[in-house]
Amino acid sequence: MLLNAVIIILREVIEASLLISIFLAFCQKYNVSRHWLMPALGIGLSLATLYAININIVSQWLEGVGQEIINAGIHIVVYLVLLVFLTLSMTIKTGRNKPLIILVMLIGVIFASIREGSEIILYIHGFIGIPELLPPVLMGGIIGAGIGLSVGVLFYYLLVNLSSKQGAKLGILLCLCVAGGMVLQATQLLSQADWITSQYPLWDTTMWISERSVLGQLLYALVGYEATPMPIQVISYISALSFMIILAAFSYVYSSRPQS
Amino acid sequence: MCRYILLIVLTTFSHSLWAATPIIEIELRDHLFYPAEITIPADTKVKLIIINTDNAAEEFESYEMNREKVIPAGSRGVVFIGPLRAGEYPFFGEFFPKTAQGKVIVK
Repeated sequence: MLLNAVIIILREVIEASLLISIFLAFCQKYNVSRHWLMPALGIGLSLATLYAININIVSQWLEGVGQEIINAGIHIVVYLVLLVFLTLSMTIKTGRNKPLIILVMLIGVIFASIREGSEIILYIHGFIGIPELLPPVLMGGIIGAGIGLSVGVLFYYLLVNLSSKQGAKLGILLCLCVAGGMVLQATQLLSQADWITSQYPLWDTTMWISERSVLGQLLYALVGYEATPMPIQVISYISALSFMIILAAFSYVYSSRPQS
Repeated sequence: MCRYILLIVLTTFSHSLWAATPIIEIELRDHLFYPAEITIPADTKVKLIIINTDNAAEEFESYEMNREKVIPAGSRGVVFIGPLRAGEYPFFGEFFPKTAQGKVIVK
């Protein structure tokens, strides 16, 4: 039970933790205010609690697939946040768009906290009535959250201490990883809800990296690793990331042009 | 003309809307699935209704079917699975994985 709790909580915390570390490192590097973080976490976790309390009602929406649609919506919002963040961050040297970037980061952290926070609340809450299991679950949860936060801290210091160029490269790569994971999870949820037709998997890499393994779970949380993806998932993943790269590149070129 | 378009639209959508999707109910009791094994036909979409009678939430999860859904305590959840190729597809309750284990057999 302990190990199970570690993995469940770690998987939830690591995504939000990574997102926050990218944003904070960005703020540190480019002298952007960080005062938005605490309010964002506060709002996000309050909404997560509200969501968890009302999960029964939400689950019955849309003929029983309300949960999938809301969660897919949250993933899409986080993807869009990363898309706008990456595009705007390319213009950071011009000094414009700072307030907009802060707004986008705020929205991103709120939505990520709703998604991850509600899952954690639902999981832990189930054990409150089981006294013999609650201590290992809480202990596992604390360990999992600790590892998840440590990964975030590690990436934060890595991003901050690398040279500007290397740091930017790693930051962009992490943005793409998290964004890809969001798109993949959104399509999986929409197919589970039967809003998009389920398809046979395009390939199966279970024998290389099983989704059951710790590595598989970590890769799932970091880059949206899926051993048996449907063609529509692969297509959405590639197009969503290509769109992001193209938009960011345009924004970079545009903002680097000497202003007349 | 309008009538024809309407007819085409109706026949297109009626197939997906009204074609009977088989429904299978699975109950969760004391962190166990009843039945723990279900058999479904190959290449067919099936609607699973998971009824959680426990006091704790459970997460219905299957890596093989790419499914993951929280079923709140004392509630029910809908999960569409398939079409799947013939074979065995394990599923489990992620919150209580020691006991909540089951599989879908596709024939």
